[in-house]
Amino acid sequence: MKKVGEVVLLWLLILFIHNAAGEGYSPPGKPTNISCRSPEKETFTCWWKPGSDGGLPTTYALYYRKEGSQRVFECPDYKTAGKNSCFFSKNVTFVWVNYNITVVATNSRGRAFSDPVDIDVVYIVKPNPPEEVVVNVTEDKDWPFLQVSWKPPKMADTRSGWITLFYEVRLKLENKNKWEEVSAGQRKTLQIYSLRSGGTYEVQVRCKPDHGFWSEWSPSSRVKVPEYFPQERSMWILIVVFAAFILVIFIWMVYMNFHSVKRYLLPPVPGPKIKGIDKQFLKSGKSEDIFSSLVVSDFPPTTSNYEDFLVQYLEVYVPEERELIMDEGKDLQDDSFKTENSTCDNDSGRGSCDSHTLLTDKGGGDKEDGQQSDQEGSQAEADTKSQEEALEEELLACSHENLQSSNVSNEKEKVKSWPSLFSPLPQYSLSPVNRPNPPKTGQQHCLSDSLFTPNSMPSYFTQPGPSTRKGFRSNYWECSFDHKQSHPLHPQSAAHEHLQAQNDLNTAHVDYMGAPLDVHVLNVRPSEYVEVQRVSVEDGVLLHPVSPSQEDSRTLSHQTEDYSRVRVVNNDNGLLLLQRDAIEEEKSMCPYQEDVVSRASITPTLQNSATGINIALPILDEMAASGYIDTATMFGLPTH
Amino acid sequence: IRAASSCTNGQTGCHFLSLANLFDRVIQHSARMHGISNDLHSEFELYFLPSKNQIGRVSRNCHTSTILTPNGKENAQRIAREELTEVILKLLVAWREPLWHFHQNMAQHREFNNFSSNKSLEMSEMVHELRRGVQKVVEKMQMLGVINSSLGNLGSPEALLASDRAEWRLMNDYDLLYCFRRDSNKIQNYLKILKCRIVPEHGC
Repeated sequence: MKKVGEVVLLWLLILFIHNAAGEGYSPPGKPTNISCRSPEKETFTCWWKPGSDGGLPTTYALYYRKEGSQRVFECPDYKTAGKNSCFFSKNVTFVWVNYNITVVATNSRGRAFSDPVDIDVVYIVKPNPPEEVVVNVTEDKDWPFLQVSWKPPKMADTRSGWITLFYEVRLKLENKNKWEEVSAGQRKTLQIYSLRSGGTYEVQVRCKPDHGFWSEWSPSSRVKVPEYFPQERSMWILIVVFAAFILVIFIWMVYMNFHSVKRYLLPPVPGPKIKGIDKQFLKSGKSEDIFSSLVVSDFPPTTSNYEDFLVQYLEVYVPEERELIMDEGKDLQDDSFKTENSTCDNDSGRGSCDSHTLLTDKGGGDKEDGQQSDQEGSQAEADTKSQEEALEEELLACSHENLQSSNVSNEKEKVKSWPSLFSPLPQYSLSPVNRPNPPKTGQQHCLSDSLFTPNSMPSYFTQPGPSTRKGFRSNYWECSFDHKQSHPLHPQSAAHEHLQAQNDLNTAHVDYMGAPLDVHVLNVRPSEYVEVQRVSVEDGVLLHPVSPSQEDSRTLSHQTEDYSRVRVVNNDNGLLLLQRDAIEEEKSMCPYQEDVVSRASITPTLQNSATGINIALPILDEMAASGYIDTATMFGLPTH
Repeated sequence: IRAASSCTNGQTGCHFLSLANLFDRVIQHSARMHGISNDLHSEFELYFLPSKNQIGRVSRNCHTSTILTPNGKENAQRIAREELTEVILKLLVAWREPLWHFHQNMAQHREFNNFSSNKSLEMSEMVHELRRGVQKVVEKMQMLGVINSSLGNLGSPEALLASDRAEWRLMNDYDLLYCFRRDSNKIQNYLKILKCRIVPEHGC
């Protein structure tokens, strides 16, 4: 029983399966995807996709109708084109004719019709790939390129003009995946440049009719490009070297101009500005303005300040009394100073009008001025140098003048005038000249100037710096003027005139100097006053320094220095007093100084008990090492 | 299309060169004409016919179907030059008036954009110019003796149009476009064949 049961179950199972299988029989499925292609526009092939066969052998049939006809034709050839295809030969192919194609699947159960498809051969042309693709590597001056050539597919008749094909080429490196496509038009050759050295290329070609589909790509044609990289390498080396060279030059240029660049970026700290001078103003370029700008108010010394240097003036006023007064006759000195200065002119460049040994009242005035100037300030220090220079200049000028002056008469005159200075009696040699108290200003200029010693300068001259020079100049002027004027004159009359000229100069000079300067000029070195201790009967004059009581302490220090020594004593009572410092200079520069005797006009008012002029040559020699004395102080200043 | 002939009458080689140039120009013109017709047809299909494959289309008859045209390469090569030339001219003549009316319809419909309207106008004008160009080619060929002068009736378009006068009016616009697209392709192809048959050495 169990066996039967099993057999029955088995049979039932088989039946069941069989029935199941048997119910699978069905009409075939509908064929789909009918596509037709013509390779040359002369034949075409259609393919379809069969549906399910329904479990039964299914046959497929293709039927077509041409436009304008109801006649149905069946596919003539199912085999040529493979399975599920239909090949239309030339005989049945008509171009510009609309085909309506239907595929029918048939099996025992039924049949299935596919959807109809309309085709026109003209628009379904898909040619075969181009044939005989040849790729050559052509060497062109070491820059190779590819030469690709091909032929149209055999089937397509392009020669008769039946089909017009357009070609396309593509290539890629063997390793890469990206293709590069190049259109070739209707040509059958193509050149490809810009190849990679040593690379291997694959080249493919395809074609398309003017109205149709692209063909498949032709099989790859491989080609290897030869190595031409070494040239590139050498070129790269050249480029690198050149670039390095340019870089080195650039760095060097930057290095050379580093300072200018640095200066541009970090401008230097501007230097100190000169007070009173505008840099921009200087840049403006006007010379006049520039020079005026350079002129500081205080420097160079104005004319007025120069009169301070007139302190050097020694106006030896020889009054009829011929008294030597060492005191400060301020008032008198002022008067005499002003009058006696007229003899000297303001001609710059010339030294004092006469010899250096002029003693004028100026000295007193200078002394007076000196007092005041001392009180004023310490500008003398600044003047020292200028004064020194002026002194030297004056000495030079004096030397020149002395050289020039060849008038013995002058000397005589001076000599003549000299005694009047020292002798109490105003036996003025210029007797023909009857001048009661003529202000006879000796040519003290040089002398007075010589009084200015470098050491003594600062103390005695409190004048402003710029004035110093001018004062010297004035003295120079006086000197020269004296000489000039004295030449054409008669000896005696010349002397007279000389005196007068000198007086005039001095006076004029004094006037020119102006009042304040007069004061200053007069303020020579009070300490330099040489007191005439004793006046010998004949020719002796003893000079000793005046006590600095009336002057500042400053002057004290320079007392000794200012002692003059009698350089020479003329026969006619001429005494040349030299300051200590100036002696040496005098020896070298002023050879005539010995002969020149400054005339000192001694105001008659000079009365002083202390006015004892002790002139002792030896003493003076000692003391006069420094050169000229301030004869003005010595003689001219009334020491009241 | 004017034949720019720079040759004298005595040089046949130069004449053939000029003939080849004439053919090239005509072929280019026909190619352009076909392109325009193709574009118009595609636009028409998008706007008016959702379904492309319709059975009814098979029954369509172009008014030029009466003109016997070679449907294959062998037929085209077998036909005589003169006949081929005549076919071309017939086709060109047959389409002049229908296209003109088609353009008029396009301008009125407003469904087409300006681009299509301009194309239809251009298409109609091209047909006319192409016909004149082909006539010039024919004259050239006749002058050169390439074809004999038996084609006397080509010079009279009225004779050609007489038989086709009313048939094209029965066609709708879409069918008209469809038919013209095919006929322009025929013209282009026939011209190419003619050129390669007469002057094969110049680009065939």
